[in-house]
Amino acid sequence: MNARIVCLGNRYTAADDLGPRVYDWLAARALPPNVAVVDGGLGGLDLAPLVERSRRVVFVDTVVGLAAPGEVLVLDAAALARHAAGEVGYGHGGGLAYLLRALPIVCASPPPCALVGAAAPASQGLVARVAARALGLAESPEEGAVTA
Amino acid sequence: MSRRTIDIAMNRVEGDLEVRVDVDDGVVVDAWSAGTLYRGFETLLVGRGALDGLVLTPRICGLCSVSHLFAAARALDGLAGVGVAPHGARLRNVTLMAEHLQNDLRQSLLMFAVDFTSPAYAAQPLYEEAVRRYQPFAGSAVREVLRTTKRMLEIVALLGGQWPHSSFMVPGGVVTVPSSGDLQRCRHLLAAFRVYYEQQILGCSLERWQRVTSAAELDAWLDESPAHQASELGFFLRFARAVGLDRIGGGYGRMLCAGGLAIPEGSRVRGPRGAAFLAPPGVATGTEVAPFDEAEVKEHVACSWYLDDAEPGGRHPFEGRTQPYASGAEGRKYSWSKAPRYAGKPAETGVLAELVVGGDPLFTDLVRQGGAHALVRQMARLVRPATLLEPMDRWLSEMATEPGPYCSPDVRVAAGRSAGVIQASRGMLGHWLEVEDDRLLHYQIITPTAWNGSPRDDFGARGPWEEALVGTPVPDLDNPVALGHVVRSFDPCLVCTVHAFGKSGRRGTLRLGG
Repeated sequence: MNARIVCLGNRYTAADDLGPRVYDWLAARALPPNVAVVDGGLGGLDLAPLVERSRRVVFVDTVVGLAAPGEVLVLDAAALARHAAGEVGYGHGGGLAYLLRALPIVCASPPPCALVGAAAPASQGLVARVAARALGLAESPEEGAVTA
Repeated sequence: MSRRTIDIAMNRVEGDLEVRVDVDDGVVVDAWSAGTLYRGFETLLVGRGALDGLVLTPRICGLCSVSHLFAAARALDGLAGVGVAPHGARLRNVTLMAEHLQNDLRQSLLMFAVDFTSPAYAAQPLYEEAVRRYQPFAGSAVREVLRTTKRMLEIVALLGGQWPHSSFMVPGGVVTVPSSGDLQRCRHLLAAFRVYYEQQILGCSLERWQRVTSAAELDAWLDESPAHQASELGFFLRFARAVGLDRIGGGYGRMLCAGGLAIPEGSRVRGPRGAAFLAPPGVATGTEVAPFDEAEVKEHVACSWYLDDAEPGGRHPFEGRTQPYASGAEGRKYSWSKAPRYAGKPAETGVLAELVVGGDPLFTDLVRQGGAHALVRQMARLVRPATLLEPMDRWLSEMATEPGPYCSPDVRVAAGRSAGVIQASRGMLGHWLEVEDDRLLHYQIITPTAWNGSPRDDFGARGPWEEALVGTPVPDLDNPVALGHVVRSFDPCLVCTVHAFGKSGRRGTLRLGG
């Protein structure tokens, strides 16, 4: 199974376009053979079939209030679980928080997940740094410091 | 007399929605529904290539992407001057129906039924059972529907070649040609879903359910066996009747269906009463059905934050404008949603409208006896899959066994105007466009929630769920759970525009849809 980098967000608004821009950055380059990149758009729960068929998943998304301007934030699985713990509401799409809480229900063996994010707006340089960190995590889970 | 205004927290809605009601002596006497986000896709599309709507509009919503793709393709079909290849029509239909199946059950069990676990119902005899079924992430029905519905989008991925952001529909058909293995895999997924649906949702076979054709037969079906009573449908009926969902949420009783799931040429699938659609077009007043005429659709903006320079009565979408104008109306404007009207009047759209317009005997009888209300509106969504599963399998089988093209040859989009009007999961969805020199000169979109959740129109008439809220009892202003039932029975979906990992207070939280 591949490791997947799932880029989330809305490419039509600068407040939320980090994920799609990282997708574009990665899709334009040769990736390692066991890493795939997905433009997840606004998908949440609907991404479950992709996630369950992955060796490891690195989400890329805009973060709000969690990172200083220009900082690349990495959250590991435990940190993601803490952030998702209070999520109970299901919107039609079921967002990332809902997906993370639902994974143990919908996946027989959920893969390890992490998130790489940065605050908006993102410069092209920041997009490249987020992409590089996501790629590093996808290839080697030990790469990079994990902050919660 | 004690008149108070309260704002209802409408979580679990895609996008942003605010509902405000005036309550007098414990009863809603007025209501306002506000969409709080500006969508702007119409403006974004103008000037782009003629086919760009096929790529851009599926991104309007994280869930309804197949519906928007379908409507965009239908609009372009009209300018292509050729019909849709029969297998292309089958493939389009099956993917849209997969979206319906997923939506109908997730909305029913994850969004609507969770309100049955509200403390407001703690004294109800069925309350503990409701908690066992619908508690988020722990309820038995919640866990089963999460596991089962995730497979439905695999059908879209197999047939469309990609998910998310599929753009496989093009004028004249589709660009994908599924292999026999793909089609067989889709049939297996559908068969597994049918087993779940019969066992868990209906508690009986499709064939048994299809013999329920009147309100009296529905009661008899419920009394017939413990399996029926314990099914999700049976439990929904018992709980909803106990808390009076059949006495709230009536609204105007005017229902709109633009026509959905056209029967492809040569198919052995039959529409109701020989119709050319599985969901035939029409406009119902009560249970009286008249023909649907797309020319009667107008959008009013007197109470919407858009420039209002037309004569009262609104503009047809071919003439419509989307020019934000958020000031100067001294509080009259209160929503980013426009107010679509049919023949000058508000109308609700959705699954109930499809079934009544299509002459479904059970829902025609239920509406004839009790009108439209929250219970029958929600029940329609829970049982629509029973009308979809067999045609879906038949169309998959026809694709697998009969040769035929998936796209018409030599398709070229000409200049002109065209409308793509379909039935999305939540009801009528329309894309109106104009092409000139291979560019989009004009684009207007009317979504199902624009119909159902519209603000007041040029003449002051409330939108459908605003009207449906009036008269609802609110015994506890701090927990107006019945108001949520009324609005959710329309399956509200306002478009999400911002999706981010956010922080609230000292602790970071994930934020849904805006």
